[in-house]
Amino acid sequence: MFVIECPWCGRRDQSEFSYGGEAHIARPENSSEMGDDTWSEFVFLRTNPKGVFAERWNHAAGCRRWFNALRNTATDEILAVYRIGEQSPTVTTILPATPCGEAPIGSGNDAAKVMRDGEAGKSAVEDVP
Amino acid sequence: MADARRISPLADRARIEAPDGAASLAELPHLGRLILRADGAAAARAVKKALGAEPPTEPNTSSRSKEALMLWLGPDEWMLVTEPGSEEALFDQLKDALSETHCQLVDVSDQLTNIELSGARAREILMKLTTLDLHPRQIGPGDVAGTTFGSVTATLFVTDDVKKHETQRFQLIVRRSVADYMWCLLAEAGREFGLPEQQPRSGETMRP
Repeated sequence: MFVIECPWCGRRDQSEFSYGGEAHIARPENSSEMGDDTWSEFVFLRTNPKGVFAERWNHAAGCRRWFNALRNTATDEILAVYRIGEQSPTVTTILPATPCGEAPIGSGNDAAKVMRDGEAGKSAVEDVP
Repeated sequence: MADARRISPLADRARIEAPDGAASLAELPHLGRLILRADGAAAARAVKKALGAEPPTEPNTSSRSKEALMLWLGPDEWMLVTEPGSEEALFDQLKDALSETHCQLVDVSDQLTNIELSGARAREILMKLTTLDLHPRQIGPGDVAGTTFGSVTATLFVTDDVKKHETQRFQLIVRRSVADYMWCLLAEAGREFGLPEQQPRSGETMRP
C-alpha cells in the first residue's frame, strides 16, 4: 500500500484510488483506415518498464477526478503527480542499474544485484565479462 | 412539493446516545441536496449573485449562504445542502441564475442522507473506520472530505456552526442503500464509549 498525493485533495491512502493503466495514449484519429495489427497495438500493447512509468489514477472515493502520476515501478515510489492535459514533469530517481534490470532497492536477488557502497556481498558487475 | 409520504432511509432508527456525552448518533432526515457541476468564474459569479456567496474553490472546504451550505466535491462540482422542503425553491432560483451558463444542476435529495455523529469521542470513532487523517490539525470546522468508512464511500463534513461549550459534530453524507450499514458501523465503533449495539436490518452481524 502506498500514499498517493491527489492533485486536488492532497495525500490520501491508496485504497481511495483506482488504477487507470498507462497514461498519454492518444486514440488514433484515422481508426477507420487502420488495419487489425495497428489497431490491436493501440488497444492492447503497453510499455512495461522497470523504472519510471507514467500512469493514470482516479481518486474514486474522493473528488473522483483522473490525474497522471510518474511512478518508479522498481521501488513503487511516486515521483510526481500532475493533472490531465499537463506535460509530465522531469524527475530524478534511482533507476535499476543491474545488468539484468534488477532493482537496486527491494530486490532479493543478490546474485544479480549491483552492490552499492556499504552493502555487504560481492558486486555482480565484476563477474560480467 | 415533496411527497408527504416519503420515508427517510433511516426512519426506523431512533437517535442513540452514549453516557456522559461521549457520543450520539442521529439521522438528519429529508435535507435538500442539489449537485451543481459548472466550470469557470462565470458560474461562480452567477451563484454569488443568486445566493450571496460563492461556491468554495479551495479543495475540501465549504461555504455558506443564507439558503444553502455549499460543499466542495470536486474542482467543478459542489453539493448544496438546504433545510428540508426548500430544495425546490433553491433549484428554481439557481436554474434562473445559471440559465446563461454551461452547467448541470440535479436534485439528489432522496438519493442520500446525512448521519450526524457528535460528542467528545466522535472524532475517535471516525478514526477507527477510515484511513483519512482526522487529527484536528488536519481537518477542522467547515472542512469536507470524500473518503471511505468501513467498506463504503461517504462525504464527511465537519460542521462549522458549533456553539461555545458544544462538542464538534460530524456529518456523513451517504447513499440511501448503505445508510443502514453506516449507522450500524458507527454504532459498533462507538460501543467502547457506550453506544448501544444496533442490529443491521438485513440480518448480517457486525462482528465476525
